Amino acid sequence: MYDFQYLRPATVDEASRVLATQPDARPMSGGMSLLPATKQRLSHWSAIVDLGGVAGLDEIRMEHGALVIGARARHVSVLSSSVVRAAIPALAELAEGIGDPLVRNRGTIGGSVANADPAADYPAALLGLGATVVTNHREIAADDLFTGLFETALEAGEIITAVRFPVPKRAAYAKYRHPASRYAVVGAFVAETAEGVRVAVTGAASHVFRVPAFETALSKSLSQDALVGVTPAYGDLNADLFASSEYRAHVIGEMVRRAVQACLHPSTPSRNA
Amino acid sequence: MKHHDIMPAGQVGRSVPRLEGRQKVTGRAAYTHNLVLPGMLHAKVFRSTIPHGRILSIDTSAAAAVEGVHRVVTGEDLRAIVAEPYFGPAFHDQPALALDKVRHIGEPVAVVLAEDPYIAAEAARLIVATYEELDAVFDEVEAMTSSAIVHDVLKPAGTFPDLKHLVGKRDTNIALDYQLRRGDVDAAFASADHVYEHEFKSQQVMHTPLEPMVSLAAPDGDGLLIHTASQSPSFVRIEIARLLGWPENRVRVKVPYLGGGFGAKLYIKLEALVAILALMVKRPVKLSLTMEEQFFTITKHACTFRIKSAVSSEGRVTGRRCEVYWNGGAYADIGPRVTQKSGFTAPGPYDIENVSIDSYALYTNRPPAGALRGFGIPQLVWAYESHSDMIARDLGLDPVEFRRKNILREGRPHATGTLMHDAEIEGVLEKIAERMNWSAPFDRGEGHIKRGRGIAIAFKASISPTTSVAIVTIAADGCASLAISTVDMGQASDTAMAQILAEVLGLATEDIKVIHPDTDVTPYDMATLGSRSTFHMGHAVRLAGEHARRQLDELAVSLGYAPGAAYAPRDLFKKKYGMQAGNIVGVGSYIPDYTSPAPKTGLSDNITPFWMIGGTGVEIEIDTQTGAIKVLKLINAADLGLPLNPKIVETQLSGAALMQYGFTLFENMLFDEGQLTNGSLADYKIPGLNDIPPVIENHIVDARQTTGPFGAKGVGESATFGVSPAIANAIHDAVGVRLTELPLTPESIFNALRAAKSQAGKA
Ligand SMILES: Cc1cc2nc3c(=O)[nH]c(=O)nc-3n(C[C@H](O)[C@H](O)[C@H](O)COP(=O)(O)OP(=O)(O)OC[C@H]3O[C@@H](n4cnc5c(N)ncnc54)[C@H](O)[C@@H]3O)c2cc1C
Repeated sequence: MYDFQYLRPATVDEASRVLATQPDARPMSGGMSLLPATKQRLSHWSAIVDLGGVAGLDEIRMEHGALVIGARARHVSVLSSSVVRAAIPALAELAEGIGDPLVRNRGTIGGSVANADPAADYPAALLGLGATVVTNHREIAADDLFTGLFETALEAGEIITAVRFPVPKRAAYAKYRHPASRYAVVGAFVAETAEGVRVAVTGAASHVFRVPAFETALSKSLSQDALVGVTPAYGDLNADLFASSEYRAHVIGEMVRRAVQACLHPSTPSRNA
Repeated sequence: MKHHDIMPAGQVGRSVPRLEGRQKVTGRAAYTHNLVLPGMLHAKVFRSTIPHGRILSIDTSAAAAVEGVHRVVTGEDLRAIVAEPYFGPAFHDQPALALDKVRHIGEPVAVVLAEDPYIAAEAARLIVATYEELDAVFDEVEAMTSSAIVHDVLKPAGTFPDLKHLVGKRDTNIALDYQLRRGDVDAAFASADHVYEHEFKSQQVMHTPLEPMVSLAAPDGDGLLIHTASQSPSFVRIEIARLLGWPENRVRVKVPYLGGGFGAKLYIKLEALVAILALMVKRPVKLSLTMEEQFFTITKHACTFRIKSAVSSEGRVTGRRCEVYWNGGAYADIGPRVTQKSGFTAPGPYDIENVSIDSYALYTNRPPAGALRGFGIPQLVWAYESHSDMIARDLGLDPVEFRRKNILREGRPHATGTLMHDAEIEGVLEKIAERMNWSAPFDRGEGHIKRGRGIAIAFKASISPTTSVAIVTIAADGCASLAISTVDMGQASDTAMAQILAEVLGLATEDIKVIHPDTDVTPYDMATLGSRSTFHMGHAVRLAGEHARRQLDELAVSLGYAPGAAYAPRDLFKKKYGMQAGNIVGVGSYIPDYTSPAPKTGLSDNITPFWMIGGTGVEIEIDTQTGAIKVLKLINAADLGLPLNPKIVETQLSGAALMQYGFTLFENMLFDEGQLTNGSLADYKIPGLNDIPPVIENHIVDARQTTGPFGAKGVGESATFGVSPAIANAIHDAVGVRLTELPLTPESIFNALRAAKSQAGKA
């Protein structure tokens, strides 16, 4: 009844061509978000272009001192990668806390980033680390990528091929997970980078955002004490069935504090609350 | 049958592994969901999108035009088969499809029949209904006085004497007003040293059986065959026969294993609709609900409980007033029974001279509520055991000590006047205190991690009077089959019943064949509910076994054996019939004694055949920064008489406790103007393996039910009772805040901490 084409191109170029000619076609990576939405009739496409046939798109490697993760790298590959663990252990820990094993075995970083779910984890890492998204057309700084609720700066037909992460001095992610979906009610990524401390928060608003007040305070001193008395003014925070916006505002502070704690003492578990 | 020397007894009390275990783990067990009949049509329900309104029109034309759709049916169409297609165990108030009015969002309004379930689902989306919206009422307390009336006229079914006075009543949402009066409660308050009054709320939740509800009806000669995932095949048969005006024997109801029931699959649910549809289209019709549709089908009562106690300065409770409001949703289902049967235990397992109880079943415009593991008891215990701790703390008494002073002991009268026997309230309390190491110092945590502990004890009366019948057939080779209508929905009743029969006949449990409910074959049983099977069906099975054994003994004597001499049954048959031939059939029928409560006072000298006693102890940890709560230890204890099968008892205890654990910490059906906003398991959290406490203990308290089969009684619900208040009491112990509304979410704990802090700041 809802017909669509299923295509499995072998190269990014081929995929690009299909997407360019069919405005209602859609790329698919792990399918963990696209397929449920399609099944529930929230969205419908003329063609699904499965990127699973493109060789090499799931590579994880170091390149010019930066960590490059292919768009098709699955969460399970990131969490178990020795390259990731050596360069940015916080990223592996973040991947370990996504969903459940079934989701981690299929879901990918490219799909997660393109999907821009307000409660997804990876966007916090991208923004927190100041990553760069590489597409078939260009490179986009994480700061410019996430524009709204499930909205990104990606253009129609634009395909993410990789994400490039500069390696921070220290970083950690703390997540307060929804008990049922396991998405972030609030997730905070804190990274000490060459340009200072970056703090990115997911789950709390329409899309991932940075918290300048915390960044300034923590750039002076990366410590829990630096956070005392800092009360950032947030824009519209999410209020939903699980948490009111007031509670979220409080939990942001707490997750940032835990992420800072984990930066200072990497052995303390930071991932979950 | 004196061949105990051939086959030793000792079947009862042995942890026999579940008879069906292998079938289930190898995926061979049969479930109604997997059943496909030739020519079968699939039904998909179109549901109301408004909470209360008159139906103006239903346009089914687009749905009917979809290729593969056989027929689209509305409530009015059903009248061609059944003029008044209203069903229900307590009230005949629920139409198989909405007639005239809709009363809750999600109510079935029309149904599509198609060759394929996906086509049916697709077509159902194309139905358009228009309504004249009516004022709606959602809250149980508001429903008492609301001008929004859910049912224009009350229609009690006539089965229960205490509902008769409601026949034809108008302009009310009260589906039952139960009351109990004992002593002089006002005088007790007037002369009390202390009076405490609190209000507690429980939320609406769902049973979530992993096998969603499913029923399949097929025309069968001049009768009807219904395959259904039901906990009450006998009731289904009777109710369908009533609707059709048929004798019972034209309706055959078959029930295989159930993938969980918990009260969701009781009485009659989808069966009336598929039965009428099958007769209408003269083909088998199957209706399988999705997980999400179950939220609209049956739930657990939300409840408001106002409790007030008169207490002496030594900590004796001298009077208690209970006002309980049960949110029954749009259809009564079994709610009025919950209101009465649980209502009379509302003061708790305490020895209180002066008691007044008012318990109200209320109609509202929410999805219907019915029986759910505990049958109202957990909602009551939530209130009275939180209340117990609040009193104890205020009086500076230890919570265990306070309970010791007040519990009902052997031989003392319960609020109804019934004397307590075989009720180890003390045993349960002391077991929990012992396992909690209550008198020892307790580590209260440090920094923003605070630790606390709490307990709760409770009791439940068995629903009464109810009947069970069992038939045992001994074949000529000496083996035995047991025909019963008890439904094995995971609680292992097959195993327990086979153990009882094996014990009586001197056979091995594993060699007994238990025949699953098939109303053409298996005799009447009231239902598999309320932890009644072990006691009621257990007795019926025992009696049937004894009946068979007597006949074998008589046969032996008639064949020349000396009275009391050992024999092997197969030799008797051989001798009697000259070959392997013949049967012996034993029948057992059981109904306990009971005195129904006096209408005005609610008093009775025999209110229940047995009491179930349960208690919970927990140790918890709170993160004061987020309100996050972790239960570190969960201790369950129960008086279930002598365990027929200790291993199965243990899983009943842990399973019941964990179910209530979900209702305590996460589960909550949230509504916005009658619209369920979290009706999917992506939002509605049920407990999973990762959520359960690291330490769980299950204790069978030393006890014997003197009136029970082999000293046993029911246990399926006992560990649900105390979980919620034990956790709330532990939260108070840890961080000094008192929560009075379920569930106990991190945000609610956090907000209470905030409020306490700002209160302290002001002081
Ligand atoms: C039960 C469950 C729990 C989950 N829990 C979490 C959680 O805790 N935290 C979390 O972060 N996520 C969670 N997720 C989401 C999960 O991480 C998904 O895998 C992820 O959001 C999407 O990744 P995917 O590879 O499956 O993408 P897909 O579903 O294939 O695609 C998602 C979207 O991205 C587009 N897309 C895919 N690849 C590309 C590309 N290379 N270039 C451009 N566009 C592309 C698709 O067109 C689609 O619109 C959960 C999902 C489920 C089902």
